[in-house]
Amino acid sequence: MGSIVLVARLVLADVRRHQAQAAMLLLAVTVATATMALGLSLRSVSEALYEQTRTATAGPDLVALSGETGPAVTSALTELAGSPGVAAHHGPYRIVYADLTTRDATSSRVVVHGFAEKPAAVNRPLVTSGQWIRPGGTVLERGFATALHVGVGDRVTIAGRPYPVVGIAVTAATSIYPGASQIGPYGGPSDYSGLAWMTRSDARALASSHDLPVTLAVDLELRDPAATQAFRDAHHDSTVRINFRSWQFTAQQDLAMLKGSRPILVVGSWLLSFLAITGVAALAAGRAVQQTRRAGLLKAVGAGPGLIATVLLTEYLALALAGDALGLLVARLTAPAIASPTASRIGDAAGPTGATVVTATVLAVAVAVLSTLRPTLRAMRTATVTALTATPHQPRHRPHLTALSALLPTPLLLGLRLTARRPGRALLQACSTATTVIAIVALLTMHAQQERGYGLNGSPVLPNLRGEHDRRLMLAVAILLIALAVVNTITFTWTTAVEARANMAIARTLGATPGQVSAGLSIAQLLPGLPGAVLGVPLGSGLLSLFAARNAVEAPSSWLLAAVLATLLATAALTALPARLAARRPVARALSAETA
Amino acid sequence: MNVSRAAVRACGLVRTHGEGQSRVRAVDEVDLEVPEGQMLAVMGPSGCGKSTLLHLLGGLERPTDGQVWVAGRRIDTLSERALARMRRRSVGFVFQAFHLMEELSASENVELPALLAGRSRRQARRRAGLLLERVGLADRARHLPSQLSGGQRQRVAVARALVNDPLVVLADEPTGNLDTAATLDVLRIFEELRTAGQTFVIVTHDERVAATADRLVSMRDGMFVDDTRLAGSTTTGLGGLGGLIGLEG
Amino acid sequence: MQDAVLAMLAKEPTHGYDLRARLRHSLGPLGGSMNPGQIYVTLSRLEKAGLVVCERADGLPERPERKVYALTPAGQQRVAAWLAEVGWPKPDLAEFHLKLAAAAAARLADPVELVAAQRRELLRRLREAQRAALAEPAGPGAGLLLEGVVLRLQADLRWLDACERAWSSLDDEIEGG
Repeated sequence: MGSIVLVARLVLADVRRHQAQAAMLLLAVTVATATMALGLSLRSVSEALYEQTRTATAGPDLVALSGETGPAVTSALTELAGSPGVAAHHGPYRIVYADLTTRDATSSRVVVHGFAEKPAAVNRPLVTSGQWIRPGGTVLERGFATALHVGVGDRVTIAGRPYPVVGIAVTAATSIYPGASQIGPYGGPSDYSGLAWMTRSDARALASSHDLPVTLAVDLELRDPAATQAFRDAHHDSTVRINFRSWQFTAQQDLAMLKGSRPILVVGSWLLSFLAITGVAALAAGRAVQQTRRAGLLKAVGAGPGLIATVLLTEYLALALAGDALGLLVARLTAPAIASPTASRIGDAAGPTGATVVTATVLAVAVAVLSTLRPTLRAMRTATVTALTATPHQPRHRPHLTALSALLPTPLLLGLRLTARRPGRALLQACSTATTVIAIVALLTMHAQQERGYGLNGSPVLPNLRGEHDRRLMLAVAILLIALAVVNTITFTWTTAVEARANMAIARTLGATPGQVSAGLSIAQLLPGLPGAVLGVPLGSGLLSLFAARNAVEAPSSWLLAAVLATLLATAALTALPARLAARRPVARALSAETA
Repeated sequence: MNVSRAAVRACGLVRTHGEGQSRVRAVDEVDLEVPEGQMLAVMGPSGCGKSTLLHLLGGLERPTDGQVWVAGRRIDTLSERALARMRRRSVGFVFQAFHLMEELSASENVELPALLAGRSRRQARRRAGLLLERVGLADRARHLPSQLSGGQRQRVAVARALVNDPLVVLADEPTGNLDTAATLDVLRIFEELRTAGQTFVIVTHDERVAATADRLVSMRDGMFVDDTRLAGSTTTGLGGLGGLIGLEG
Repeated sequence: MQDAVLAMLAKEPTHGYDLRARLRHSLGPLGGSMNPGQIYVTLSRLEKAGLVVCERADGLPERPERKVYALTPAGQQRVAAWLAEVGWPKPDLAEFHLKLAAAAAARLADPVELVAAQRRELLRRLREAQRAALAEPAGPGAGLLLEGVVLRLQADLRWLDACERAWSSLDDEIEGG
């Protein structure tokens, strides 16, 4: 019991003394777990949103679409609606394929559903603003209206005829925008299009006035909503071709929008965790050296270095779990926005699933354990007495590297020797830089993609929401990655400067200028950064090609080269400040601190 | 006063540490001139300001007031970069704690200042070899500092201080961490260098080290309280020591 | 001095000039303070005391250099007693201490000044001894003797430091009070 109190007290004191470090660990874990939880819960959130929209709009279990019109089709659909196993139905109703133009001349394909003015038992679109259709007025599907920037009261032109927008509504009968058409005219392939509703007579008038293609459809509610496949198999009619769209299929279609988001978030979260581990490990290593001094004090009250390790581990675990909780909360709050890039669905996301919580927590614990692993192991292996006199681990003699560096100008000589002092940290710096470049390569490649807009004939007047969404997510993940990499680089430079303080002071007494010393410290970070940045390009491209579409293009190599150069320049700039600060310390004080 | 003959000169030198009430004058109005070829020892109890004085003379600290010249050039007004260049050419440091780079071998440590001064690797290596031989460590050139005894480490440090042929060697308690035998080794090297005309300023509280010098300055509370020429002025010579060993019986 | 000469004869009968050379070798640079006749004065005193006998070397003219000296049994006893003796010569600190006290009491001179002057003198001696010691090779030769001189002077200098502190703090009290 007493030892728990002691550990708790030491942890609290530690956190208070190292607030910046604690904040960094907390933030890094929050960001990593939030990203991971988001990536993992996209599917379930999207399904939950569909389910809620379906409940709110009495979504059909099955939509039967003919692709053409005529008495045979009508009777076949009516017969289908009356068949056993059907609990309720809506229709048959017209689906008219037309073009829609807004007042600011944005054009898009649209499918117009001719509905009754009174809601039916099945497929009752939920009006989210304005009113339901009336003669002469149209209601737009919410995802479509949002993409068009059209609201209630605006006027739109459909197939050359003006209509006031009287309302905005959502439905679960069709896929989210821009997948409203379900099948194309005459059962052909469908194109990106939005959804609008009109009264039955308006829809008929629209179709006949311009001789527009029309499809008939009927919405069915089954006695057993799960048995959609069985129903389809039972009603396979050879005379009239009927296309079925089950609610399960529509829900799956929603996910197609998120195809790119999931890998961005999941792979992004792995990279973020990796950066968090490297940065926090560097901090923990610096702390462990400091803490050996405290070991003496603790030994006096009967505790050994094992306790130091326990304190460090407990502290990091506690912070990581707090970050985990925070990350899950962030994921919960942002999930509906990220899982639903269009406004076609309503509802709120449920909390993350148990599996997601467990995975995120495992990630957080892994960050804490992996970053404190080395100091903890060292503390456990070292006998108490040795720990008391422990000095920071001595760098190894590297005669070849030293001889090589002797041929170089002074800043490179100092930089190379500093890099050689801590090869582990150099590796971390290389990995950190590589991660940054991977993120930038991914971002550039995604921006280089050519994609069809949602406007008429692929016009980019209406942007490709899926691509936009992916790019926006990638940008967010890249910003987080770069932010962590920046913090890491500054941490590495500062830790290197602190550890090499005595050596750099000696170099100063031997005639190295402050400029040479600070350049050396910067170069010590740049040297491992260089291979890291160069390796980051193929790694980033390779990683992307795992998830990319078949027709994906690569970013121009001039962009990639510029990215590598910019990363290295940024590293140099970032290391300059801590290096300058360290180099400006008075030599005499650094030397006497060493002897004291 | 002939400035050019003085290797090191200080005038009205003041250095204070701290602020307000806790303000301490570590060096207080010190005037000093060390001619070329002289070995000067500065003695005094710890905290008397002798190390600070040495740092001021080597440009590692800046005076609060007063002027410092090294090799006839005023250094208290120089930029940090110019100070570093000055140290490369004119000053060699020897410290109590040796301050060798632990991951470099003895020879590499000695080469470092030569490389910093822009000499080629070959020149630096040759010079380091010569100096290590001079301090009797030719066979230890490839050893790491951790593989050397304290006395050997300090001899490496002395070789390192000499590698750029400095005008003056500034030594801060050079034998403070050494036992008697190692102290004698270092003093023997100092004595050889002094005979060869090397200028020294040695800060010490060891009478033996001080007694190697030509001139001894005593410091108390940042000020000089005594300035004694030790060279060539004994009243009795070695014969005066006869009494001590009972030869006059 | 007498004891040392006797002990050197214990090995074998020796010529006077050999004795002198051996003494000089052992004393190193300090041997210079020994006057050349001193060894013969000492030998003749020892002979009078019956501790050594002098034999002339065969077939050679009567020259002092040709005299060979040997120990008598009494001389041998004296050598054995000298080796067993543990007496240790003491430097006379009391005299200087009294000098300071007297100078202060009678206001003849400033004791701190006296200490400083004495210190300078000892430092010069230390420098000479140190320099001589460094010139000697390591081992049980004259360097070892010089090392003893150096350490003694060092001890004396430290005592002078203590004197200086004590007398200057006394000064401060007088000035302050």
